[in-house]
Amino acid sequence: MQVIVRRVIQLIVVLVVVTFFTSILTALLPGDPVTTIAPFSSEQDRANIRNQLNLNENIVVRYGKWLGHFMTGDMGREYAGTGVRGQSIWGRIKDSLPRSLLLMLYVQILTLLIAVPLGVYTAYKAGTRLDDLSNGIAFLLLSIPVYVTATLMLLFLSVQRHLLPTEGWVSLGSNPVEHFKHLAMPVLAITIGQVAVYARLLRSDMVATLQEDYILMAKSKGISDRRVLWRHALRPSSLTLLTVAGLNVGQLIGGALIVEVIFHLNGLGFAIGDAINRRQYIALQDYIAVVAIVYVLVNVAVDTLYRVLDPRIRGARIG
Amino acid sequence: MLESADTELTAGSVSAAAAVEEPPDEVFEKRGMGVLAWIGIGWLSLVVLIAILAPVLPLKAPMVGDYLHPKAGLFSPGHLLGSDDSGRDVLSRVVWGARASLLIAVGSIAFGTLIGGFLGLVAGFKGGLTDTVLGAFFNIFLAFPQLVLALTLVAVLAPVKPSGGASSGEWGHRILVVILAVGIVSVPLLGRITRASAISWSQREFVMAARAQGATSRRVMLREVLPNVVPAMASIALLGVAIVLVLEGALAVFGVSIQEPNPSWGNMIYSQLSNLNSAPAVWIVPSVLIFLSVLALNYLGDVVRARFDVRESAL
Amino acid sequence: MSRRKRGAAPGSERFADAPLDGSLLEVTDVKTQFKTPRGLVHAVDGVSFSLERGKTIGIVGESGCGKSVLSRSIMGLLPRNAVRHGSVTFEGREIGKSTGNSMRQYWGTQMAMVFQDPMTSLNPVMRIGNQIMESLRFHFDVTKDYAEETALALLNSVGIPEAERRLREYPHQLSGGMRQRVMIAIALACGPKLLFADEPTTALDVTVQAQILDLLQEQQRERFMAMVLVTHDLGVVAGRTDDIAVMYAGRVVERAPTRSLFEQTRHPYTEALLKSIPKLGQPSHSKLDAIAGRPPDLVKPPRGCKFAARCPYAQPKCITDEPELVDAETPGHAFRCFFPVGSQAGAEALARNLSAGETATGLPVRKEGEAVLTGVTV
Ligand SMILES: Nc1ncnc2c1ncn2[C@@H]1O[C@H](COP(=O)(O)OP(=O)(O)OP(=O)(O)O)[C@@H](O)[C@H]1O
Ligand SMILES: [Mg+2]
Repeated sequence: MQVIVRRVIQLIVVLVVVTFFTSILTALLPGDPVTTIAPFSSEQDRANIRNQLNLNENIVVRYGKWLGHFMTGDMGREYAGTGVRGQSIWGRIKDSLPRSLLLMLYVQILTLLIAVPLGVYTAYKAGTRLDDLSNGIAFLLLSIPVYVTATLMLLFLSVQRHLLPTEGWVSLGSNPVEHFKHLAMPVLAITIGQVAVYARLLRSDMVATLQEDYILMAKSKGISDRRVLWRHALRPSSLTLLTVAGLNVGQLIGGALIVEVIFHLNGLGFAIGDAINRRQYIALQDYIAVVAIVYVLVNVAVDTLYRVLDPRIRGARIG
Repeated sequence: MLESADTELTAGSVSAAAAVEEPPDEVFEKRGMGVLAWIGIGWLSLVVLIAILAPVLPLKAPMVGDYLHPKAGLFSPGHLLGSDDSGRDVLSRVVWGARASLLIAVGSIAFGTLIGGFLGLVAGFKGGLTDTVLGAFFNIFLAFPQLVLALTLVAVLAPVKPSGGASSGEWGHRILVVILAVGIVSVPLLGRITRASAISWSQREFVMAARAQGATSRRVMLREVLPNVVPAMASIALLGVAIVLVLEGALAVFGVSIQEPNPSWGNMIYSQLSNLNSAPAVWIVPSVLIFLSVLALNYLGDVVRARFDVRESAL
Repeated sequence: MSRRKRGAAPGSERFADAPLDGSLLEVTDVKTQFKTPRGLVHAVDGVSFSLERGKTIGIVGESGCGKSVLSRSIMGLLPRNAVRHGSVTFEGREIGKSTGNSMRQYWGTQMAMVFQDPMTSLNPVMRIGNQIMESLRFHFDVTKDYAEETALALLNSVGIPEAERRLREYPHQLSGGMRQRVMIAIALACGPKLLFADEPTTALDVTVQAQILDLLQEQQRERFMAMVLVTHDLGVVAGRTDDIAVMYAGRVVERAPTRSLFEQTRHPYTEALLKSIPKLGQPSHSKLDAIAGRPPDLVKPPRGCKFAARCPYAQPKCITDEPELVDAETPGHAFRCFFPVGSQAGAEALARNLSAGETATGLPVRKEGEAVLTGVTV
């Protein structure tokens, strides 16, 4: 119980600091932020922006006001020019965040579906040619940036062969087939590198696990190798897998943002790229805050899951 | 599948048994790591060399188009590595691009290593409140995904000009900003590793002994702890350079890396995203360069780690 | 998930035709080597013995002399870098060449093993109950309820209180002695005819040691099960075995019915081991330091008698020639020594060494036994 309270407090502190940082981003802009955001605007617009950013307040009040607006979803609109109503920032977050999350979820699932059997099998075959080969390939794959993989796929699968659409998002509800067709390349582009990371770590962890006395013990019961691998060896290693997942969330988010821009997926990453290029710093603050919050929350979730899954930690807490 | 054939699950596989029996040096030699490591070092030296020598190499001007030969393929006469849509020479751009990409990668990691290394060393060595404060500082920066933090910092410190900038002053300014932004991002990463390593070394007997003999703590920190922390820092720094080489390309995807018409490996790739087929050499060549350099760096990072027994858990 | 059934339960029909008399296990000239970067490790080098149904043989020797490797060689539980020669017959069937896939029908149901360290030999993230029921459900066509009942009965029979609750617990919730009891329950689950107990008590407190050994003995009698009891402590096997094989550097140096071994010790190594049996109450780990020197390198074993370098009886002949295993007067007693303890030749050899002040290998000896017992710690 105490542990939980402490962790919740920790979480809140981190969230406050992180959002504080994003809320004062515009203060870092060189010169007058308003000039950077809206170089050719009227006095009235300038005053509005100044107001929206609370530039006239001190930093703490500014954060307080920003937080109030952020929490109530009342984030205002992007600045689109004199007399033009910009897009609602909250509206854009509401639309784009679920897409980014879904994209990341697909990547995570596919990654595990491929990496776990691969890692288990190569650990089982440790020291053989096949193991060396797959290790080598994984090492090569680790060195290919997501955007290169994405670009290669675009060239071969879309531009030259027209097998898959090059860009855009189709919702699952409206057309499942198109949905997956549009997401196939983005998801694969991230997954390839992730599989290499997971499979390599799982392999080395399982190789160590397979040295354990309890594996020999399990084997001496006369149960099948398959069972020894999946029941006895993978379980303890799955905790490592979870640790990797936690450490890797940043990579995953980064990958998602990049492919969103490349494939015009209109998720949060695309929104961020768009905001940067159109110098929508008011909106950028909020987008970044959302990403940071997601990152922190996912990490907390992973950590919690870890505690739930490991009977040793669980036991320690009870007893 | 797993049960077929004559293979069987074994509790002590060859590799693991070998790892137990052999001293680390032998592992190193036996697997022929030496050769591969040297190839890696050779490749990286070559890349660094051509980047340094770019101004004196007999290259075409990287930003001047050759309107008679646009979209030349690989090995075309006059354009060894082809040319882009406006006929700019890919070889020349890739060499000048190496300058930008390497400057960013090496510069930001040097920044991160100096600052992060210093902070980590102090935190790990001093412990107590210093450690708590610095640790909290690292953790807050680590609460942002690297790409997002770098992206934000660059975007804010050097807003994209709607028109784009071509002047050399602009080039230098942006490189500085990118180095600073990415450098800041790398501080907590390098700081954390150094801290972990410094903590473990600070508790060793010889450090205690030096302290007991009345050496000043600054002296102990710099003479006894630092030299031992260097391998961990070096292996992470190598990986860090690799990460930033990749990151530069990601920044380019968001349009905040080096601005056109100046070349960097990243923006050469990104500039072609809308017309991949027209002159594939333009993005394939820098992609291959990034890949090979990152591969070499990753490999060398692994080698350093294996050589000096830097523990993964410290990472 | 559909559960795979292994045809007929191996315990029932497959082995039904096995003869009920004669020996259960025949081990003939078993050699096991490990391929390592340093070269071939000759971990077990030509071991033979036989074991009848319901009997116990003790395998005794210092750490590293190949006891565990021997039991694993017999079971066929060796890592990939191991090479095994020689013949092992179980109920008259040759299993010395069989590997994992064909051995699996023996493991658990015909032969089982209790491992040295109960702290590391139970899967930390699996419930005790599942670890016991696993082999039952895998080998026999039983329902979950039946398996659970059996597991409960097993836990009770190995003396674990509150068995019902323990079934749902994880290993870290149990003490070392309890864990070893669980290990025994697991090994007994499918009713093996042969049990290997590989130093089952080394990792345990002295007080618990005797309980576990008693439990093993009791279960063995009840089930008419044969047992190979591995230990480095002659004191442990004293009252609990029918035969004892003393191993040194991968070889059996003396083999005898238990009584004969203690009363008519022939091999100097056995003699040294006997002298080093700790008095009650001493910590169990100090005892083996009592024999001066260390066992030879198993990659390049010495040419003559492997024990010569540490033997107070050693003569020049011991350095050049290796003694064969020869029979003693008592039936079933055999040893490998040119100058056996208690013989004329042995007494003369020792006297020669004492007057010279050192043995043929340069080991200093003073009055009787002194060299053997140098460096007694405690
Ligand atoms: N997988 C392996 N690879 C290489 N050598 C091995 C391997 N397993 C065991 N050995 C070697 O075989 C020899 C015998 O080991 P074994 O484990 O049988 O000793 P032991 O008599 O059981 O000792 P202990 O009392 O410590 O358990 C040792 O020298 C050991 O180093
Ligand atoms: Mg052993």
